[in-house]
Amino acid sequence: MMNLVKWARLRSPWLLHFNTGACNACDIEVLAALTPRYDLERFGVLLKGSPRHADVLVVTGPVTRQVRDRLLRVYNQMPDPKFVVAVGTCCISGGVFNGCYNVYSGLDSVIPVDAYIFGCPPKPEAIINGVAALLKKLEES
Amino acid sequence: MEWLLELLQILIFPGIVFAIVLAFVYEWFDRKIYAKLQNRVGPLYTGKSGILQPFADFVKLLAKEDITPGEVDKPLFNALPIVALTLSLMGFLALPITGLRGIISFNGDLIFLIALMTLICIVIIYSGISSSNRFSTVGAERAALQLLGYEIPMMLSAISIGILAGSMWVYDIVNTQVSGIWFLVGPSILGFAIFVLCGQAELERIPFDIPEAETEIVAGWLTEFSGKKLALFRLTKDVELLYLSGLAVALFLGGPSGPVISGLEPILYPIYFLLKTLFVLFLLTTLRALFARLRIDQMVNFSWKYLVPLAILQVLLVRVIV
Ligand code: SF4
Repeated sequence: MMNLVKWARLRSPWLLHFNTGACNACDIEVLAALTPRYDLERFGVLLKGSPRHADVLVVTGPVTRQVRDRLLRVYNQMPDPKFVVAVGTCCISGGVFNGCYNVYSGLDSVIPVDAYIFGCPPKPEAIINGVAALLKKLEES
Repeated sequence: MEWLLELLQILIFPGIVFAIVLAFVYEWFDRKIYAKLQNRVGPLYTGKSGILQPFADFVKLLAKEDITPGEVDKPLFNALPIVALTLSLMGFLALPITGLRGIISFNGDLIFLIALMTLICIVIIYSGISSSNRFSTVGAERAALQLLGYEIPMMLSAISIGILAGSMWVYDIVNTQVSGIWFLVGPSILGFAIFVLCGQAELERIPFDIPEAETEIVAGWLTEFSGKKLALFRLTKDVELLYLSGLAVALFLGGPSGPVISGLEPILYPIYFLLKTLFVLFLLTTLRALFARLRIDQMVNFSWKYLVPLAILQVLLVRVIV
Protein backbone atom coordinates (compact mmCIF):
# COMPACT_ATOMS: atom_id res chain seq x y z
CA MET A 1 0.00 0.00 0.00
CA MET A 2 2.75 2.44 0.97
CA ASN A 3 4.58 1.48 -2.19
CA LEU A 4 1.56 2.35 -4.30
CA VAL A 5 1.24 5.74 -2.63
CA LYS A 6 4.94 6.41 -3.11
CA TRP A 7 4.71 5.40 -6.75
CA ALA A 8 1.78 7.76 -7.25
CA ARG A 9 3.52 10.60 -5.47
CA LEU A 10 6.61 10.28 -7.60
CA ARG A 11 4.58 10.35 -10.76
CA SER A 12 2.34 13.28 -10.19
CA PRO A 13 4.12 16.28 -8.68
CA TRP A 14 1.92 19.34 -9.14
CA LEU A 15 3.68 22.66 -9.03
CA LEU A 16 2.78 25.97 -7.53
CA HIS A 17 4.92 28.83 -8.72
CA PHE A 18 5.55 31.65 -6.27
CA ASN A 19 7.55 34.79 -6.96
CA THR A 20 9.03 36.25 -3.79
CA GLY A 21 10.60 39.22 -5.51
CA ALA A 22 12.51 37.82 -8.48
CA CYS A 23 13.71 40.05 -11.30
CA ASN A 24 11.39 37.99 -13.53
CA ALA A 25 14.14 36.16 -15.37
CA CYS A 26 13.79 33.13 -13.13
CA ASP A 27 10.01 33.19 -13.59
CA ILE A 28 10.38 33.21 -17.33
CA GLU A 29 12.69 30.21 -17.15
CA VAL A 30 10.27 28.31 -14.91
CA LEU A 31 7.48 29.01 -17.38
CA ALA A 32 9.75 28.05 -20.26
CA ALA A 33 10.25 24.69 -18.61
CA LEU A 34 6.49 24.17 -18.74
CA THR A 35 6.10 25.00 -22.43
CA PRO A 36 5.60 22.37 -25.15
CA ARG A 37 9.30 22.38 -25.95
CA TYR A 38 10.19 20.71 -22.66
CA ASP A 39 6.72 19.36 -21.90
CA LEU A 40 6.94 18.55 -18.21
CA GLU A 41 3.57 16.83 -18.40
CA ARG A 42 5.50 13.78 -19.59
CA PHE A 43 6.43 13.27 -15.95
CA GLY A 44 2.94 14.08 -14.73
CA VAL A 45 3.88 17.62 -13.74
CA LEU A 46 1.02 20.11 -13.88
CA LEU A 47 0.99 23.77 -12.94
CA LYS A 48 -1.73 24.47 -10.39
CA GLY A 49 -3.18 27.79 -9.34
CA SER A 50 -4.31 26.95 -5.83
CA PRO A 51 -1.92 26.08 -2.98
CA ARG A 52 -4.46 23.52 -1.82
CA HIS A 53 -3.91 21.46 -4.94
CA ALA A 54 -0.13 21.66 -5.16
CA ASP A 55 2.63 19.35 -3.95
CA VAL A 56 5.74 21.29 -4.87
CA LEU A 57 6.22 24.97 -4.15
CA VAL A 58 8.59 26.48 -6.70
CA VAL A 59 9.99 29.71 -5.28
CA THR A 60 11.91 32.23 -7.35
CA GLY A 61 13.72 35.34 -6.22
CA PRO A 62 15.07 36.76 -2.97
CA VAL A 63 12.65 36.59 -0.04
CA THR A 64 11.83 40.18 0.82
CA ARG A 65 10.48 41.29 4.18
CA GLN A 66 7.27 42.33 2.45
CA VAL A 67 6.58 38.92 1.01
CA ARG A 68 7.59 36.76 3.96
CA ASP A 69 4.16 36.61 5.56
CA ARG A 70 2.47 35.83 2.27
CA LEU A 71 5.00 33.12 1.54
CA LEU A 72 4.39 31.56 4.93
CA ARG A 73 0.63 31.74 4.38
CA VAL A 74 0.85 30.04 1.02
CA TYR A 75 3.20 27.43 2.46
CA ASN A 76 0.85 26.71 5.33
CA GLN A 77 -2.10 26.40 2.99
CA MET A 78 -0.50 23.51 1.12
CA PRO A 79 -1.57 20.04 2.26
CA ASP A 80 1.07 17.58 3.48
CA PRO A 81 3.32 16.08 2.13
CA LYS A 82 4.70 19.22 0.53
CA PHE A 83 8.07 20.08 -0.92
CA VAL A 84 9.86 23.31 -1.65
CA VAL A 85 12.25 24.00 -4.51
CA ALA A 86 14.38 27.14 -4.49
CA VAL A 87 15.08 28.34 -8.02
CA GLY A 88 17.88 30.77 -8.75
CA THR A 89 20.79 32.15 -6.78
CA CYS A 90 18.71 34.92 -5.25
CA CYS A 91 16.34 32.44 -3.75
CA ILE A 92 19.09 30.21 -2.42
CA SER A 93 21.21 32.84 -0.71
CA GLY A 94 19.90 36.27 -1.57
CA GLY A 95 22.36 36.44 -4.48
CA VAL A 96 23.33 39.96 -5.50
CA PHE A 97 20.80 41.28 -3.01
CA ASN A 98 22.41 39.49 -0.09
CA GLY A 99 22.89 41.91 2.76
CA CYS A 100 20.24 44.34 1.62
CA TYR A 101 18.15 45.72 4.48
CA ASN A 102 14.91 44.35 3.02
CA VAL A 103 15.98 40.87 1.96
CA TYR A 104 16.42 37.60 3.86
CA SER A 105 19.56 35.66 3.16
CA GLY A 106 18.04 32.66 1.47
CA LEU A 107 14.69 30.91 1.36
CA ASP A 108 15.78 28.31 3.92
CA SER A 109 15.90 30.94 6.63
CA VAL A 110 12.11 31.23 6.24
CA ILE A 111 10.76 27.80 5.26
CA PRO A 112 12.40 24.35 4.92
CA VAL A 113 13.74 23.73 1.41
CA ASP A 114 14.09 20.33 -0.28
CA ALA A 115 15.98 21.15 -3.46
CA TYR A 116 18.15 24.00 -4.71
CA ILE A 117 18.58 24.95 -8.36
CA PHE A 118 21.56 27.16 -9.08
CA GLY A 119 21.89 29.74 -11.83
CA CYS A 120 21.09 33.34 -12.54
CA PRO A 121 18.70 32.48 -14.04
CA PRO A 122 18.88 28.66 -14.26
CA LYS A 123 18.12 27.13 -17.65
CA PRO A 124 14.89 25.18 -18.05
CA GLU A 125 16.99 22.01 -18.27
CA ALA A 126 18.46 22.84 -14.88
CA ILE A 127 14.98 23.31 -13.43
CA ILE A 128 13.86 19.96 -14.80
CA ASN A 129 17.01 18.43 -13.39
CA GLY A 130 16.23 19.98 -10.02
CA VAL A 131 12.73 18.58 -9.98
CA ALA A 132 14.11 15.20 -11.01
CA ALA A 133 16.63 15.40 -8.16
CA LEU A 134 13.80 16.15 -5.76
CA LEU A 135 11.88 13.13 -7.01
CA LYS A 136 14.96 10.94 -6.65
CA LYS A 137 15.42 12.11 -3.08
CA LEU A 138 11.79 11.24 -2.45
CA GLU A 139 12.22 7.81 -3.92
CA GLU A 140 15.13 7.04 -1.63
CA SER A 141 13.48 8.35 1.51
CA MET B 1 -29.64 -15.56 -8.70
CA GLU B 2 -31.36 -12.77 -10.54
CA TRP B 3 -30.59 -10.19 -7.86
CA LEU B 4 -26.96 -11.29 -7.65
CA LEU B 5 -26.54 -10.79 -11.37
CA GLU B 6 -28.13 -7.39 -11.12
CA LEU B 7 -25.89 -6.42 -8.23
CA LEU B 8 -22.83 -7.48 -10.20
CA GLN B 9 -24.07 -5.46 -13.14
CA ILE B 10 -24.43 -2.35 -11.02
CA LEU B 11 -21.14 -2.76 -9.17
CA ILE B 12 -18.79 -4.14 -11.78
CA PHE B 13 -19.80 -4.37 -15.42
CA PRO B 14 -21.16 -2.14 -16.89
CA GLY B 15 -21.54 -0.39 -13.56
CA ILE B 16 -19.42 1.50 -11.11
CA VAL B 17 -16.01 -0.17 -11.42
CA PHE B 18 -16.23 -0.12 -15.21
CA ALA B 19 -17.24 3.55 -15.13
CA ILE B 20 -14.32 4.53 -12.94
CA VAL B 21 -11.72 2.61 -14.93
CA LEU B 22 -13.10 3.97 -18.16
CA ALA B 23 -13.16 7.50 -16.73
CA PHE B 24 -9.44 7.26 -16.00
CA VAL B 25 -8.70 5.94 -19.46
CA TYR B 26 -10.75 8.70 -21.04
CA GLU B 27 -8.99 11.38 -19.06
CA TRP B 28 -5.71 9.95 -20.29
CA PHE B 29 -6.99 9.93 -23.87
CA ASP B 30 -8.18 13.50 -23.49
CA ARG B 31 -4.84 14.67 -22.14
CA LYS B 32 -2.90 12.78 -24.79
CA ILE B 33 -4.91 14.20 -27.68
CA TYR B 34 -4.77 17.66 -26.15
CA ALA B 35 -1.00 17.38 -25.90
CA LYS B 36 -0.73 16.09 -29.48
CA LEU B 37 -2.67 19.09 -30.72
CA GLN B 38 -0.27 21.36 -28.87
CA ASN B 39 2.75 19.61 -30.35
CA ARG B 40 3.64 17.84 -27.11
CA VAL B 41 3.60 14.21 -26.06
CA GLY B 42 1.62 14.48 -22.84
CA PRO B 43 1.87 11.93 -20.02
CA LEU B 44 4.52 9.42 -21.00
CA TYR B 45 6.28 7.58 -18.18
CA THR B 46 3.45 6.49 -15.91
CA GLY B 47 2.52 3.07 -17.21
CA LYS B 48 2.53 2.39 -20.93
CA SER B 49 2.55 5.81 -22.67
CA GLY B 50 1.27 7.34 -19.47
CA ILE B 51 -2.02 5.49 -19.37
CA LEU B 52 -1.84 5.21 -15.58
CA GLN B 53 -1.34 8.97 -15.13
CA PRO B 54 -4.91 9.81 -14.03
CA PHE B 55 -4.84 6.84 -11.65
CA ALA B 56 -1.54 8.03 -10.16
CA ASP B 57 -2.99 11.53 -9.70
CA PHE B 58 -6.02 10.03 -8.01
CA VAL B 59 -4.02 7.84 -5.59
CA LYS B 60 -1.70 10.70 -4.77
CA LEU B 61 -4.59 13.01 -3.98
CA LEU B 62 -6.23 10.33 -1.84
CA ALA B 63 -3.05 9.99 0.20
CA LYS B 64 -2.62 13.71 0.73
CA GLU B 65 -3.64 15.69 3.77
CA ASP B 66 -7.29 16.64 3.63
CA ILE B 67 -7.65 20.18 4.92
CA THR B 68 -10.98 21.51 6.10
CA PRO B 69 -10.45 25.24 6.48
CA GLY B 70 -11.91 26.82 9.61
CA GLU B 71 -14.33 29.14 7.89
CA VAL B 72 -16.13 26.64 5.65
CA ASP B 73 -19.60 25.23 6.09
CA LYS B 74 -18.37 21.84 7.32
CA PRO B 75 -21.29 19.46 6.65
CA LEU B 76 -21.80 20.78 3.11
CA PHE B 77 -18.09 21.01 2.37
CA ASN B 78 -17.52 17.38 3.40
CA ALA B 79 -20.62 15.91 1.80
CA LEU B 80 -20.67 17.61 -1.59
CA PRO B 81 -17.78 15.73 -3.26
CA ILE B 82 -19.50 12.42 -2.50
CA VAL B 83 -22.87 13.71 -3.69
CA ALA B 84 -21.34 14.91 -6.94
CA LEU B 85 -19.65 11.59 -7.62
CA THR B 86 -22.85 9.68 -6.82
CA LEU B 87 -24.87 11.81 -9.20
CA SER B 88 -22.47 11.35 -12.08
CA LEU B 89 -22.23 7.59 -11.51
CA MET B 90 -26.01 7.37 -11.40
CA GLY B 91 -26.15 9.04 -14.80
CA PHE B 92 -23.67 6.54 -16.15
CA LEU B 93 -25.82 3.61 -14.98
CA ALA B 94 -28.70 4.84 -17.13
CA LEU B 95 -26.70 4.75 -20.36
CA PRO B 96 -27.23 1.89 -22.78
CA ILE B 97 -23.92 0.01 -23.01
CA THR B 98 -24.23 -3.75 -23.06
CA GLY B 99 -27.69 -3.67 -24.56
CA LEU B 100 -30.19 -1.19 -25.85
CA ARG B 101 -31.27 -0.42 -22.29
CA GLY B 102 -29.23 0.92 -19.43
CA ILE B 103 -29.29 -0.68 -15.99
CA ILE B 104 -31.64 2.02 -14.76
CA SER B 105 -34.15 2.52 -17.54
CA PHE B 106 -37.69 3.76 -17.36
CA ASN B 107 -40.12 5.68 -19.48
CA GLY B 108 -39.13 9.34 -19.54
CA ASP B 109 -35.59 8.85 -18.31
CA LEU B 110 -34.22 11.42 -20.75
CA ILE B 111 -35.65 14.12 -18.50
CA PHE B 112 -34.03 12.45 -15.51
CA LEU B 113 -30.66 12.35 -17.28
CA ILE B 114 -30.76 16.01 -18.21
CA ALA B 115 -31.87 16.92 -14.69
CA LEU B 116 -28.91 15.01 -13.27
CA MET B 117 -26.52 17.24 -15.18
CA THR B 118 -28.20 20.34 -13.79
CA LEU B 119 -28.01 18.82 -10.31
CA ILE B 120 -24.26 18.31 -10.66
CA CYS B 121 -23.95 21.95 -11.62
CA ILE B 122 -25.97 22.94 -8.57
CA VAL B 123 -23.67 20.83 -6.39
CA ILE B 124 -20.80 22.79 -7.90
CA ILE B 125 -22.48 26.09 -7.08
CA TYR B 126 -23.03 24.93 -3.50
CA SER B 127 -19.49 23.73 -3.10
CA GLY B 128 -18.21 27.09 -4.25
CA ILE B 129 -20.40 28.94 -1.81
CA SER B 130 -19.77 26.59 1.11
CA SER B 131 -16.01 27.18 0.82
CA SER B 132 -16.47 30.79 2.01
CA ASN B 133 -13.53 31.84 -0.10
CA ARG B 134 -13.76 34.87 -2.31
CA PHE B 135 -12.42 33.02 -5.33
CA SER B 136 -14.74 30.09 -4.78
CA THR B 137 -17.70 32.39 -4.45
CA VAL B 138 -16.88 34.15 -7.71
CA GLY B 139 -16.44 30.75 -9.33
CA ALA B 140 -19.82 29.60 -8.03
CA GLU B 141 -21.50 32.74 -9.32
CA ARG B 142 -19.98 32.19 -12.71
CA ALA B 143 -21.05 28.55 -12.70
CA ALA B 144 -24.61 29.66 -11.97
CA LEU B 145 -24.58 32.26 -14.73
CA GLN B 146 -23.12 29.77 -17.15
CA LEU B 147 -25.84 27.27 -16.24
CA LEU B 148 -28.41 29.86 -17.35
CA GLY B 149 -26.57 30.08 -20.64
CA TYR B 150 -26.17 26.49 -21.75
CA GLU B 151 -28.97 24.63 -20.07
CA ILE B 152 -31.85 25.72 -22.28
CA PRO B 153 -30.26 25.05 -25.70
CA MET B 154 -29.07 21.70 -24.39
CA MET B 155 -32.55 20.73 -23.25
CA LEU B 156 -34.06 21.92 -26.52
CA SER B 157 -31.68 19.81 -28.57
CA ALA B 158 -32.45 16.78 -26.40
CA ILE B 159 -36.17 17.46 -26.75
CA SER B 160 -35.89 17.66 -30.52
CA ILE B 161 -34.52 14.12 -30.42
CA GLY B 162 -37.44 13.16 -28.21
CA ILE B 163 -39.83 14.51 -30.83
CA LEU B 164 -38.06 12.62 -33.61
CA ALA B 165 -38.32 9.36 -31.74
CA GLY B 166 -41.78 10.12 -30.41
CA SER B 167 -40.70 9.26 -26.88
CA MET B 168 -38.64 10.60 -23.99
CA TRP B 169 -37.28 7.16 -23.19
CA VAL B 170 -33.63 6.61 -24.10
CA TYR B 171 -34.44 2.98 -24.91
CA ASP B 172 -37.04 4.06 -27.48
CA ILE B 173 -34.70 6.67 -28.92
CA VAL B 174 -31.94 4.10 -29.42
CA ASN B 175 -34.42 1.59 -30.79
CA THR B 176 -35.75 4.03 -33.39
CA GLN B 177 -32.21 4.61 -34.58
CA VAL B 178 -31.45 0.90 -34.75
CA SER B 179 -34.42 0.29 -37.02
CA GLY B 180 -33.92 3.51 -39.01
CA ILE B 181 -30.88 5.71 -39.36
CA TRP B 182 -28.83 7.60 -36.81
CA PHE B 183 -30.32 10.89 -35.79
CA LEU B 184 -27.00 12.54 -36.47
CA VAL B 185 -27.60 12.07 -40.17
CA GLY B 186 -30.11 14.60 -41.42
CA PRO B 187 -31.69 17.49 -39.59
CA SER B 188 -30.24 16.66 -36.21
CA ILE B 189 -26.67 17.53 -37.06
CA LEU B 190 -27.40 21.03 -35.79
CA GLY B 191 -28.78 19.55 -32.60
CA PHE B 192 -25.63 17.46 -32.20
CA ALA B 193 -23.42 20.53 -32.57
CA ILE B 194 -25.46 22.40 -29.97
CA PHE B 195 -25.41 19.42 -27.64
CA VAL B 196 -21.64 19.02 -27.86
CA LEU B 197 -21.02 22.75 -27.33
CA CYS B 198 -23.33 22.85 -24.33
CA GLY B 199 -21.72 19.67 -23.06
CA GLN B 200 -18.40 21.42 -23.17
CA ALA B 201 -19.90 24.21 -21.07
CA GLU B 202 -21.42 21.70 -18.67
CA LEU B 203 -18.03 20.06 -18.18
CA GLU B 204 -16.41 23.46 -17.69
CA ARG B 205 -13.72 22.83 -20.25
CA ILE B 206 -12.05 25.42 -22.46
CA PRO B 207 -13.54 27.66 -23.96
CA PHE B 208 -16.14 27.52 -21.20
CA ASP B 209 -13.88 26.93 -18.20
CA ILE B 210 -14.95 30.31 -16.87
CA PRO B 211 -15.96 29.05 -13.39
CA GLU B 212 -12.48 27.67 -12.74
CA ALA B 213 -10.39 30.12 -14.75
CA GLU B 214 -7.06 29.69 -13.02
CA THR B 215 -5.53 32.88 -14.39
CA GLU B 216 -8.28 35.00 -12.87
CA ILE B 217 -9.76 33.30 -9.86
CA VAL B 218 -7.11 30.74 -8.75
CA ALA B 219 -9.13 27.56 -9.28
CA GLY B 220 -12.66 28.93 -9.00
CA TRP B 221 -15.09 26.87 -6.97
CA LEU B 222 -12.45 24.17 -6.50
CA THR B 223 -9.96 26.46 -4.75
CA GLU B 224 -10.40 25.26 -1.18
CA PHE B 225 -10.69 21.55 -1.88
CA SER B 226 -7.63 19.44 -1.19
CA GLY B 227 -6.70 15.79 -0.84
CA LYS B 228 -9.57 13.30 -0.95
CA LYS B 229 -12.22 15.86 -1.79
CA LEU B 230 -10.28 17.15 -4.75
CA ALA B 231 -9.71 13.56 -5.89
CA LEU B 232 -13.44 12.89 -5.77
CA PHE B 233 -14.25 16.07 -7.67
CA ARG B 234 -11.72 15.23 -10.36
CA LEU B 235 -13.17 11.76 -10.66
CA THR B 236 -16.64 13.31 -10.87
CA LYS B 237 -15.52 15.45 -13.77
CA ASP B 238 -14.06 12.41 -15.54
CA VAL B 239 -17.18 10.31 -15.05
CA GLU B 240 -19.27 13.24 -16.19
CA LEU B 241 -17.17 13.53 -19.33
CA LEU B 242 -17.79 9.87 -20.00
CA TYR B 243 -21.47 10.19 -19.18
CA LEU B 244 -21.96 13.17 -21.44
CA SER B 245 -20.25 11.56 -24.40
CA GLY B 246 -22.27 8.41 -23.72
CA LEU B 247 -25.47 10.43 -23.73
CA ALA B 248 -24.53 12.16 -26.98
CA VAL B 249 -23.89 8.72 -28.47
CA ALA B 250 -27.24 7.40 -27.26
CA LEU B 251 -29.14 10.40 -28.58
CA PHE B 252 -27.41 11.05 -31.88
CA LEU B 253 -25.18 8.14 -32.85
CA GLY B 254 -27.50 5.21 -32.32
CA GLY B 255 -26.28 4.18 -28.87
CA PRO B 256 -24.23 1.00 -28.71
CA SER B 257 -25.78 -0.45 -31.84
CA GLY B 258 -23.92 -1.37 -35.00
CA PRO B 259 -23.53 -4.30 -37.36
CA VAL B 260 -23.76 -7.38 -35.14
CA ILE B 261 -23.41 -11.10 -35.53
CA SER B 262 -26.36 -12.53 -33.64
CA GLY B 263 -25.41 -13.98 -30.28
CA LEU B 264 -22.37 -11.75 -29.91
CA GLU B 265 -24.26 -8.58 -28.95
CA PRO B 266 -23.04 -8.39 -25.32
CA ILE B 267 -19.45 -8.29 -26.56
CA LEU B 268 -19.89 -6.14 -29.63
CA TYR B 269 -22.17 -3.51 -28.07
CA PRO B 270 -19.63 -2.28 -25.49
CA ILE B 271 -17.01 -2.11 -28.24
CA TYR B 272 -19.25 0.05 -30.41
CA PHE B 273 -20.05 2.14 -27.36
CA LEU B 274 -16.34 2.71 -26.72
CA LEU B 275 -15.60 3.62 -30.32
CA LYS B 276 -18.46 6.07 -30.56
CA THR B 277 -17.80 7.73 -27.21
CA LEU B 278 -14.14 8.07 -28.13
CA PHE B 279 -15.24 9.88 -31.27
CA VAL B 280 -17.35 12.33 -29.26
CA LEU B 281 -14.53 12.74 -26.77
CA PHE B 282 -12.18 13.50 -29.63
CA LEU B 283 -14.51 16.29 -30.76
CA LEU B 284 -14.67 17.68 -27.23
CA THR B 285 -10.89 17.61 -26.89
CA THR B 286 -10.37 19.30 -30.24
CA LEU B 287 -12.71 22.08 -29.17
CA ARG B 288 -10.71 22.41 -25.97
CA ALA B 289 -7.45 22.74 -27.84
CA LEU B 290 -8.73 25.09 -30.53
CA PHE B 291 -10.22 27.87 -28.47
CA ALA B 292 -9.21 30.25 -25.74
CA ARG B 293 -11.39 31.02 -22.77
CA LEU B 294 -14.35 33.33 -23.27
CA ARG B 295 -15.43 35.92 -20.77
CA ILE B 296 -18.59 35.10 -18.86
CA ASP B 297 -20.60 37.88 -20.56
CA GLN B 298 -19.43 36.71 -23.98
CA MET B 299 -20.47 33.17 -23.14
CA VAL B 300 -23.96 34.11 -21.98
CA ASN B 301 -24.37 36.50 -24.90
CA PHE B 302 -23.28 33.83 -27.35
CA SER B 303 -25.65 31.24 -26.01
CA TRP B 304 -28.69 33.55 -25.89
CA LYS B 305 -28.01 35.22 -29.22
CA TYR B 306 -27.04 32.17 -31.23
CA LEU B 307 -27.43 28.87 -29.41
CA VAL B 308 -31.00 29.34 -28.17
CA PRO B 309 -32.43 30.54 -31.52
CA LEU B 310 -30.58 27.75 -33.31
CA ALA B 311 -31.94 25.22 -30.84
CA ILE B 312 -35.46 26.52 -31.40
CA LEU B 313 -34.91 26.31 -35.15
CA GLN B 314 -33.80 22.71 -34.64
CA VAL B 315 -37.02 21.88 -32.79
CA LEU B 316 -39.07 23.54 -35.54
CA LEU B 317 -37.23 21.64 -38.27
CA VAL B 318 -37.83 18.36 -36.50
CA ARG B 319 -41.46 19.29 -35.96
CA VAL B 320 -41.91 19.92 -39.71
CA ILE B 321 -40.36 16.60 -40.62
CA VAL B 322 -42.24 14.42 -38.16
S1 SF4 C 1 18.69 34.56 -9.60
FE1 SF4 C 1 19.20 36.05 -11.17
S2 SF4 C 1 17.58 35.81 -12.65
FE2 SF4 C 1 16.87 34.86 -10.80
S3 SF4 C 1 15.73 36.42 -9.72
FE3 SF4 C 1 17.83 36.53 -8.98
S4 SF4 C 1 18.82 38.07 -10.24
FE4 SF4 C 1 16.93 37.46 -11.31
